[in-house]
Amino acid sequence: MSVPATPRKPSHAASVAATPATSRAANAHVVQASPHYQTTRRHSLYGTEDRVVIDPGSRVWKVGFSGEGRPRDVFSVGSLWGLRRAAEATERDEEDRVLEARLQAYLRDVFHDSLLTDPKSRKVIIVEHPLLPLYVKEMLAKILFGNLQAPSISFASSHLLALLSVGRITGLVLDCGNLESTVLPIFASRPLYPQLRTTPLAGARFTAHLCALLLLFGTYLPPPTSLSAAANIPVATRSMRVPQEVLTEAVLEEIKTRCSFVGEPLDPSSDMRVMSPSGGDDSMEIDLPPSDTAPSESDFSRVSADLESNVESQPASSGFSIVSRSQIAPERPTRGEGHLQALASMYTRHSTATDLHIKVVPPVAQQAGTGKGTLIIPGWIRERAAEVLFEGGDVDESSVAETVLDSLLKVPVDLRKTLASSILVIGGTAMLPGFIPRLHAELLRAIASSPSSAARPPMRPDRPRPPAYDRYAVLRPLVPHFAILNNPSPPAQPTGARGSANAGKAPAFTPAAMAWVGGSLAGSLKTGGAEVPREKWDEAEAQQDPDDSANFNIDLTHHATPNVIPDWTRSPLPIGAPPANPPPPIPEASPRAAVGA
Amino acid sequence: MAPSIDYHCPCLASSPAPPPPHLPSSSYSFHPLHELFFCEECDAVRCNRCVSVEVSGYYCPNCLFEVPSASVRAEKNRCARNCFMCPNCRNTLSVVPSDPPDMDDGRGSTAALNAVGEPPFFLYCNHCRWDSAEVDITFEKPTGLAAQLQKHEDSAPDSLEFERLKEHFEPFLRASSSSALAGPTPASHSHHAHVNPITAAASSALARDIPGVAKYAPHPRGRRDKGPRDEMSEYRSRVEVGGTSAMGEADVDFMRRIEEESEVAAVEQRWANSWATSLRTSDLKPLRIPLHSKKSKRCPTCRHILIKPEQKAQSVRFKIKLVAANYLPSMTVALPRPLDIVRRGARPPADDPSGTPGLHAGSTYPFQIALTNPLYDPIQVRLSVQRQIPPAVSAAAAAAATEGGATEKSRRPPFAVSLPSSAFPIAAFAEAWEYEDDEDMFGVDGDEFGLESRDGRETQGKAKSKTVGVLEKRANVTIVGGEVVIGKDARGEVKFNMLVSYTYRSDDALPEDEVRGTPSRTSKAPEMKTFSFSTAVNLGPVVPREENRMDTD
Ligand SMILES: [Zn+2]
Ligand SMILES: [Zn+2]
Ligand SMILES: [Zn+2]
Ligand SMILES: [Zn+2]
Repeated sequence: MSVPATPRKPSHAASVAATPATSRAANAHVVQASPHYQTTRRHSLYGTEDRVVIDPGSRVWKVGFSGEGRPRDVFSVGSLWGLRRAAEATERDEEDRVLEARLQAYLRDVFHDSLLTDPKSRKVIIVEHPLLPLYVKEMLAKILFGNLQAPSISFASSHLLALLSVGRITGLVLDCGNLESTVLPIFASRPLYPQLRTTPLAGARFTAHLCALLLLFGTYLPPPTSLSAAANIPVATRSMRVPQEVLTEAVLEEIKTRCSFVGEPLDPSSDMRVMSPSGGDDSMEIDLPPSDTAPSESDFSRVSADLESNVESQPASSGFSIVSRSQIAPERPTRGEGHLQALASMYTRHSTATDLHIKVVPPVAQQAGTGKGTLIIPGWIRERAAEVLFEGGDVDESSVAETVLDSLLKVPVDLRKTLASSILVIGGTAMLPGFIPRLHAELLRAIASSPSSAARPPMRPDRPRPPAYDRYAVLRPLVPHFAILNNPSPPAQPTGARGSANAGKAPAFTPAAMAWVGGSLAGSLKTGGAEVPREKWDEAEAQQDPDDSANFNIDLTHHATPNVIPDWTRSPLPIGAPPANPPPPIPEASPRAAVGA
Repeated sequence: MAPSIDYHCPCLASSPAPPPPHLPSSSYSFHPLHELFFCEECDAVRCNRCVSVEVSGYYCPNCLFEVPSASVRAEKNRCARNCFMCPNCRNTLSVVPSDPPDMDDGRGSTAALNAVGEPPFFLYCNHCRWDSAEVDITFEKPTGLAAQLQKHEDSAPDSLEFERLKEHFEPFLRASSSSALAGPTPASHSHHAHVNPITAAASSALARDIPGVAKYAPHPRGRRDKGPRDEMSEYRSRVEVGGTSAMGEADVDFMRRIEEESEVAAVEQRWANSWATSLRTSDLKPLRIPLHSKKSKRCPTCRHILIKPEQKAQSVRFKIKLVAANYLPSMTVALPRPLDIVRRGARPPADDPSGTPGLHAGSTYPFQIALTNPLYDPIQVRLSVQRQIPPAVSAAAAAAATEGGATEKSRRPPFAVSLPSSAFPIAAFAEAWEYEDDEDMFGVDGDEFGLESRDGRETQGKAKSKTVGVLEKRANVTIVGGEVVIGKDARGEVKFNMLVSYTYRSDDALPEDEVRGTPSRTSKAPEMKTFSFSTAVNLGPVVPREENRMDTD
């Protein structure tokens, strides 16, 4: 097995020096003398006007005060909730008890340790993801009102808040988070919830895919059993498949956040034809139109999706056995690994990313040796693990780009151009370097290539064929208008394309922070006229007569008493335009119910 | 893990009964005694999850400066003097002059206010050797460094952009609020029930009827080619993301070429930045040290103060401290050495367990609980096992249950616990020890708690009397013995809930005694009161029997 094979560019040193780090936004204005100190002083007392803004993700929380440009604290909360709850009632109750206790601990920390402020005098703004499970939302309210005695809570849509942070109230917002990627169109500050679209292709899937790739194509060097062994045995002899235990959650997170990036789309090239066996034992690849690389790439990522479930539950033995356990292998016994190997070598050929060696804790069985093991991450995995997010054509799991387009298709015709030219990309997964420019390319590619999907064979025998019509034909005239507001590398302007002039015009807030920044902005603008005061909650808790609530000037009166917390899934949704396409599998009226189920 | 006893605080519970200790969630309800408080008003245990916390002062944990609360906000809850953390290793940084006098001479702390030497000064990490000159941060004077840096923070691009955004939205909101909606009227809300509260005002100033929203009543549209637009004026960013190299091609290029993972800053070092910043470890900036607070804690029910620290930052003492350890008997549990075990089971487990530590399935073990009385009066204590699970399920279910698994709801505890059934005394704290009324307490113990005979294994009353009951009394400590019979198929941990009730002499008026917090020092007409609380006793994990032996009976 060849170990560090990726060629380095000879110009390495020169190019590092040439990187224009000094032109970065962060450094550009630091030294400027500023009149701004005055404006900050204006708030210098802890007035009760400053609200606490909490962006509670399932994995990372951001907390701070309104009126500030960045959160005071950002911290990891492990993994608080997932897409599924236990089906069985007692099990679910126990899950809920644990979740509530953990939420309580984190919320108390927010006030007592991160912000050092008294919760009783602080109004709270919760940045609410549209698919934040309702039971979690209710737990948050219960703890804030009950345990912490917060005077009021406002729940504000994360997508809308993110738009505020770029100075807008209209746009098509994609949140690429951990559990899901969620697209929500917003017009004139109104979220168009019926047009909400989601896909599970997001951070967690990326991690699972990364894990599968490393198991298959990574290399592991155990710690030498003795010092003399280290000297005598060549590295190539010691190298082995990556043991599963080495790839802990922390190691994968590290690789994801410190080593990974997103390369440009691969140009359809002769590689694909070279790769396809000419023998004809594999009908799938023979059918491939040479101009379309997607099917084989899809296969590639699908394998990892199948692996993911197996890998979780199986004790690791070797990567090979894992391949054999995947669902694909039994169907096409001769193919499996060879096919993946071909893809891997194609990516290898096209990637100039360096291989990285990182130190990892060896499996328990090997810990008798000296020190840590070494995990070798091929450069192409660092660059191409994200392919899984861009692979489409699956009915249940649209690619991120397809999800954006599907939402756009649902939007009333005369809003489409406006929204297509104001796409905003937020969320932690969008922090991967290169993600946003790649998404832009994928949007155009999906629109351009959608007719060819008709010619495609089904991905798998058990999956339905992709629809045989030209899915995104109606969006094709909009192509010149597509613009991602916060595209750090906006494509060169074709002359006359008015709409796409928006690309890259957003302020340089990071995708992960935008929703929080918008919450801070909303709080400081005091636009939150409507909020749930604690009295309201206490009343509902006491099951009092709803008529007593008439003097609260909030729009809660039409909710049944126990439902004090406003929630868009509870209100009847307005009737939208008739759908242009057959409805997708996501239940339109109650996506949240589906999540909670 | 050593056997332990944790005390219950009922704040998380929906019912007064304590949660079964084998549920993972129960760990949030049981606490070590030293973490608990006691409210005299409510006569109840309080924990750190339920007390309400108030900040009574701010200070820097490094220089111990007490920060007036008025300046805490502007200084962003961080020390505005000379205290910084290393961005790499979080060690405290030292201020050093450009020509360091000599290495290793007393640069232990940051309080290098008296640093002498040549300017410029910079920050240096003694641990990882990071130095702030690498990121172009130097100082002309060795004092007031944080204040110098904070000016940079306040003029940071995120702050300036934020202010511009506010200016962008403010006139718009003012216009819309004057047009009707300072207080939302019911009419406006019935129109769009789910409009987000934050921007209800903003949106209501806009066109009510948007195609596809609400009523789908298309307006006659002037310029169809442009499509509908909101009424917000265009925002011009101060710094456009497309005009910077952050996050774009430069980052991709950098990532593609890195040779070491450590060249890229960890996500924890970057994620508090709301503004696009460098990925590079080498660009990290020093961090001002976060302030700590002095916290007062109150009873959530009656607002009575439970903890009030002294104001001084250096002090670790409290003006008021009502800790539960001053009210409740403290308890420790221990398993005697394996050699001391009195084994009465029909047969010993597969391999003789007495040599190996741990609780073996199919064996019986004595355990000892030592109770210490914190009160100035003697107390009478009664212990009992709190049963959680109806014992109506077959032993097969117990065998199937796995540790922490989901099948536990229908499981009978795979062990049975005996505790002394009658009350026993514990002498008062730090007073005369010469109580002699104890003899009658011996020998009357040993009820049949949980000891239904199973599998033909009889329990012998006389054997038990040696282990279950009061074993020892000295000073204000009483040691009692209990016994656990572990089922043949037991797995997981031997954990059970134990109810502790103690009777003490109560004097309701005791004003001068608050700090000490003892309810029974003055001598008034004695009134006996009983206080009960729950505990979770964990004796440790069961060593399962060999798999093949499970089938033989
Ligand atoms: Zn409590
Ligand atoms: Zn300090
Ligand atoms: Zn350091
Ligand atoms: Zn109280």
